[in-house]
Amino acid sequence: MAIHSKVSSDGKQLTIVIEDRFDFSLHQQFRDAYCRNNTSDVTYTLDLSKTEYMDSSALGMILLLKDHVQLYTGQLVISKPNDTVNKILEIAQFHRLMTIEL
Amino acid sequence: MTTNQKLALVVDDSKMQCKLLSVLLQEENYRVVVANDGASGVQMYVKHQPDLVLMDINMPIMDGFEATRRIKKLSGEGNLAPIIFITSMDSDKAFIDSVDAGGDSILVRPFSPAVFKAKIKSIQRIGDLVSQVNNLQQEQQKDAELAEKMMSDVIEARNFALDKIGVIKRAATIFSGDIQLAAQCPNGDVHVLLGDFTGHGLRASIGAIPVTETFRAMTKKGFSLFEIIKQINRQLFALLPGDLFFCASFASISEHEKSAYIFNAGLPEGYLFNNKAIIKTLFKSTHPPLGILPKLLPDAAIEVVPIELSDRLVFITDGIVEARSPDGTLFGFERFEQAAKIGVLQHGVARQVQNELEVFCQEAEQEDDITLVDIPCSGFQPKDLANSITSPKDISNPTAFSHAGETDFSGAYFNRSYRLAPAWSYQLHLTGKLLKDVNPIPLAMNQINDLAGAGEHWQSLYTILTELFVNALDHGVLGLSSTLKDSAEGFSQYFNERAKRLDTLSDHPDDYISITLNYYPFSSDKERSTAQKEVSKTGGKMLINIKDSGQGFDVLSLIKKNSTDIEHNVKLSGRGIELVNQLCDTVEYQENGTLVTASFVWSDTH
Repeated sequence: MAIHSKVSSDGKQLTIVIEDRFDFSLHQQFRDAYCRNNTSDVTYTLDLSKTEYMDSSALGMILLLKDHVQLYTGQLVISKPNDTVNKILEIAQFHRLMTIEL
Repeated sequence: MTTNQKLALVVDDSKMQCKLLSVLLQEENYRVVVANDGASGVQMYVKHQPDLVLMDINMPIMDGFEATRRIKKLSGEGNLAPIIFITSMDSDKAFIDSVDAGGDSILVRPFSPAVFKAKIKSIQRIGDLVSQVNNLQQEQQKDAELAEKMMSDVIEARNFALDKIGVIKRAATIFSGDIQLAAQCPNGDVHVLLGDFTGHGLRASIGAIPVTETFRAMTKKGFSLFEIIKQINRQLFALLPGDLFFCASFASISEHEKSAYIFNAGLPEGYLFNNKAIIKTLFKSTHPPLGILPKLLPDAAIEVVPIELSDRLVFITDGIVEARSPDGTLFGFERFEQAAKIGVLQHGVARQVQNELEVFCQEAEQEDDITLVDIPCSGFQPKDLANSITSPKDISNPTAFSHAGETDFSGAYFNRSYRLAPAWSYQLHLTGKLLKDVNPIPLAMNQINDLAGAGEHWQSLYTILTELFVNALDHGVLGLSSTLKDSAEGFSQYFNERAKRLDTLSDHPDDYISITLNYYPFSSDKERSTAQKEVSKTGGKMLINIKDSGQGFDVLSLIKKNSTDIEHNVKLSGRGIELVNQLCDTVEYQENGTLVTASFVWSDTH
């Protein structure tokens, strides 16, 4: 499995880790990782430290996650993208739309 | 016999067996054709294209395995006519061999009619599924082809200056989510767009039509690049689902202003090369892709750079730098820049980059669309604007800067009389913040088109209005000195300062610019067009008044300085007013330079 997700014991942290390639083939799994979490004020961390490559459909998937997070008044943090992935986020100027922690 | 009756081919060297199987198949509503050896079985298959094949194994001339192999080869992957082996050899080997040869099932004699029919039904079910999938695939293919045809024939073939702008376009799937557009503004400037919709295929194409329509229509009406971008963003935000968006770079190239206006939202860096292939400027993405946010970010701004006419702008989508060689290496920015530089020197950026890419990628599968546009910074207006710069031919003396007082237009030039009162007047008075937010020129041009009809000559009027309005705003209301623009550093300083002062306009509601247009069509006098010939000559005069709330300037000395400087070709500024001067019959400054009156005369002979 290229996607792992876990919820902290207090239910306030949801972390999604993506390994290797983050592209359209993960569409369904990625959605499944967060869409049933309906509690509000959750911090969603998208951990990209193990992501080697990301394409533009992944950017679209992140935007859908952002919509979900906003709907339930949570926080979204993109965490530790590598240089290649960060370059893609930078070109798309995603730091203007969400928090990216290097 | 109904058309939906299925056809079965029975291949068996025993006539008896053929007869038996045929009867059973006919009871299942099949039509049946028969062959008595493998070779003629293959021929019959080719001739009749059956829905089902029953195949004996041991036959003269060609056995069932070989015949099956050939049939499978002929029918290709997608086109499954199921083949069932009928045999008395009840061994594992027979079963394995028949599957290896491409058989879909095996039926061992002896079997009861009921078992035979059940087998036929089950295998036909698979065949039906395959043909359903095939049909769906074909429909999808047709849709994709339609989308591609639409893109290439309808959208991109109508681009402006197709022969001047170099293009690479290689789609990953049949339809590419990449789109490139070029269109000419009424004043001769050129707008170019290179964009990349998320995803591929039909899914990526839904935004293409509205983007194209908006880009073309607004460019044609004379809206500024920024207004077009804002509108496209609004439109795509409303139209596209949450995970679809549009990465795009925009450029507006003004030859007479010698400047380029650039906006990059989500594409890799754009390049400005000089003719020595030195990178003069890189245009980084400064905004998230379009269609994500309901409005552009508040600090979104167009980058303005001075250009030489021999410069080239190059935009790319990410497919180029992310193209891979067979061993997985990325093409990357370095290789791209190297190829582009050679291309600039050899006057063929698209060709050079494409060659390098082909050598690099060889047969590796292309994962993403690859698109590049190479835009020259001049040469767009050899005919069109040259025509529109010339003043109406009937006017012999168009160069006068300031005829004092009223020019006599009572028919001296045209042997025509003007009405004394204008046929119509139009006034637009903008104050404070509206001066920043509203571009009055397209509004005015729309009115003119509605009132006086469309026409080529309005291109010149558009240029005149734009230049005079921008002058009134920049040098009048905002109090900017155009001498700043004389150096390349000052050039960007000028535009930074301009943006800053525009933002303060909301605190100055008393600042204003007032545009008044008075239109005098030629009276339709018949006295001259005597009985011999009905010469229908149309034309008229537009009297333009633009008044601003600024401090004014020393009109005479500036104009003198401008005209000498321009003759010696030393200035970046002042070209606008020079152009206006060429287009207008008279241009006159009054009230200490805060009021300009220009008269534009046109005529058309049919």
